[in-house]
Amino acid sequence: MIGYVPGHSLLHRAHPYTTLALAGALLLGAFALTRPLEVWLLVVAAAAFAVAGGVLRASARPALLLSLPIWVLLFVLHGLLGADPRMTVGPVSLSVPGIARALVLGGRLTAIVLGFLTALATASPHRLVEAMTAGGVPFGRTFLLASTLTVLPRMRERTTQILEAQQCRGLRLGGSPLARLRALVPLALPLVLGALAEVDEQVLALDARGAAGGVRRTALDPPRDSALQRALRWTLLALVVAAYAWKFWSMRG
Amino acid sequence: MTALVTLEGVTFTYPGADRPALVDVSLELAAGDVLVVTGESGAGASTLLLVATGLAPRVVGGRLTGARRIEARRCGVVFARPWTQLTGLCPTVRDEIAFGPASQGLPREAVLAAAERAMERLHIAHLAGREPAQLSGGELQRVVVAAVLAVEPEVLGLDDPAAELDPEAADALYDLLPAIAAAGTAIVVATPDLERAARVATRAVALEAGRIVARGAPADVLGGTEVAGIARAAGCPPPFPLDVPALLRRVSR
Amino acid sequence: MTLRDLVLVRLGVAINLVIGQIVAALLLPIFLDSVGTILVAALVGPRAAIAVGLVSQVLNAVISGNFSWLPFALVQVVIALYAAAAARLGLFRRFATAVPAGIGMGLLAAACSAPIAYFLFGGVTAGGVTVVTTVLRALGAPLAVAVASASFATDLLDKAISCALVSALLGSLPRTLAARFPALAR
Repeated sequence: MIGYVPGHSLLHRAHPYTTLALAGALLLGAFALTRPLEVWLLVVAAAAFAVAGGVLRASARPALLLSLPIWVLLFVLHGLLGADPRMTVGPVSLSVPGIARALVLGGRLTAIVLGFLTALATASPHRLVEAMTAGGVPFGRTFLLASTLTVLPRMRERTTQILEAQQCRGLRLGGSPLARLRALVPLALPLVLGALAEVDEQVLALDARGAAGGVRRTALDPPRDSALQRALRWTLLALVVAAYAWKFWSMRG
Repeated sequence: MTALVTLEGVTFTYPGADRPALVDVSLELAAGDVLVVTGESGAGASTLLLVATGLAPRVVGGRLTGARRIEARRCGVVFARPWTQLTGLCPTVRDEIAFGPASQGLPREAVLAAAERAMERLHIAHLAGREPAQLSGGELQRVVVAAVLAVEPEVLGLDDPAAELDPEAADALYDLLPAIAAAGTAIVVATPDLERAARVATRAVALEAGRIVARGAPADVLGGTEVAGIARAAGCPPPFPLDVPALLRRVSR
Repeated sequence: MTLRDLVLVRLGVAINLVIGQIVAALLLPIFLDSVGTILVAALVGPRAAIAVGLVSQVLNAVISGNFSWLPFALVQVVIALYAAAAARLGLFRRFATAVPAGIGMGLLAAACSAPIAYFLFGGVTAGGVTVVTTVLRALGAPLAVAVASASFATDLLDKAISCALVSALLGSLPRTLAARFPALAR
């Protein structure tokens, strides 16, 4: 399941910046590491991260489902169609460096997705918004990240309504590629125009409640941070920098 | 009583428009007023609202000539569609209502107290922990009104506030207005809903093509409609239905 | 950015994320996931368009769960800047100039995304593009060529149609609505 899973684990109680920093470190670290063993140690670290959040089962399933098509393509593109030297496993001839590459690329993806799904599952969007507000992040950034997600369902509903309405008026969704391309305009136009027409009202409503004030908004329930967590975040940053320094140094040598 | 808003010979033109939306408008708003502004669609009622609350031209652009004095420290506006007025940032009704005071940078206790007061005034304390997305139109509009009142505006503008509400919710919304005005707010309502407006108005103004064509007591301005005349001639007891929907409701009872 | 710019950026992001519904209903082999970015570039300007691109990339990852695509955010920035420049030059005013502008955008976008796909992902990003890559590779093309060709083919079509659609949308704006966007008049 992709999304927040309520709970009381270590990660749930942690400051959202810490959880995000861990997921971010997994992302950046994954692209810095180049050998299968290193990458798979990172995957283990990602799994440990998920366990710390008590969401291993909840994150592992979607992570596997998401990465499955990619593993298949990796296997075909690199394993089967890769460079020499080759090895034979049963009836199949596999490329040795190709398999190694596939393990690295696949491991990277698995570590990254597992890391972020864990972060999503343990840091509720509301807590993140509160953390950002308390941290003095300008209103614009919190607004864009948080309120866009809330307007999406209504917009999807409207799209469905437009699809139905236009079909009632005789618009065909099938036909030649050119006909289908032409159908884009009568479907996209009402959606865009409808949204644009609401803009003025939305701006007025937000302005009337002081969103443009420029005054730092009071956070009502800011998540607690600690010196330990701050130290952890800085350490993660240092580790990532070290990983890239190691990567470039060993590339030159 | 000092006027909170004074307009003298105000003419306002939207950006890119050929004709001004308001022409030579003069009026005063004092605390305790419930001023109803009527007119056909496009006559300028909504524009008058935006000009009186200071939102035009500041937020929508355009050109304003004439004299305007707004002595009020804060103005609030409520529009017809509840959905477009939500910030999208707040997971609960209480947070949504607290957004205004929080954006003023008030301390946490003051923010929560202001939100509680607003919820009490609108009798929606029982909705405090609910998600805005799950409320009915009527409930959501009350949340919006509470959210606007939470910043304690001295002038409150309402633009066809019951347009998307069912009859009971619409009645309930209009019935709130006299209490709000009595607490010291100046209210101006732009609406085609003459019958409900007549119940709560202390003064009325009728607009045609941006000019004021009638002003005075609600009974005179609003009661002078053709439908009211027909009802009176047909021997209907007062209060006379002011428009066709009201007449139909009366007849079908 | 002003409050109005923020609301418009939010609108652009929403369009990017939702228009896939229409594309899917029409069974078209394109994404059109930059239409919002291009539209906001024409209506507001480059800064707002970049915001649309970046936020779309992040929210796409949040919704789909696939965060490994975050590095492609760079491509979104490039698209935003190109779209703003094209709008400034008035290329969206007519179909005849919008389509070539879209082809140019596709070339630029592919030139940016192909190296990211090749170096960071070994050419495997999942989706239709990778299938094309795989087929080309199976036919004997070297990996780099296969990745580049797949990127170019899909991006050219996608961006050309996106720009044509934005041109049609801008041309259909009612006059009073268009007047609210000073960037259009330039």
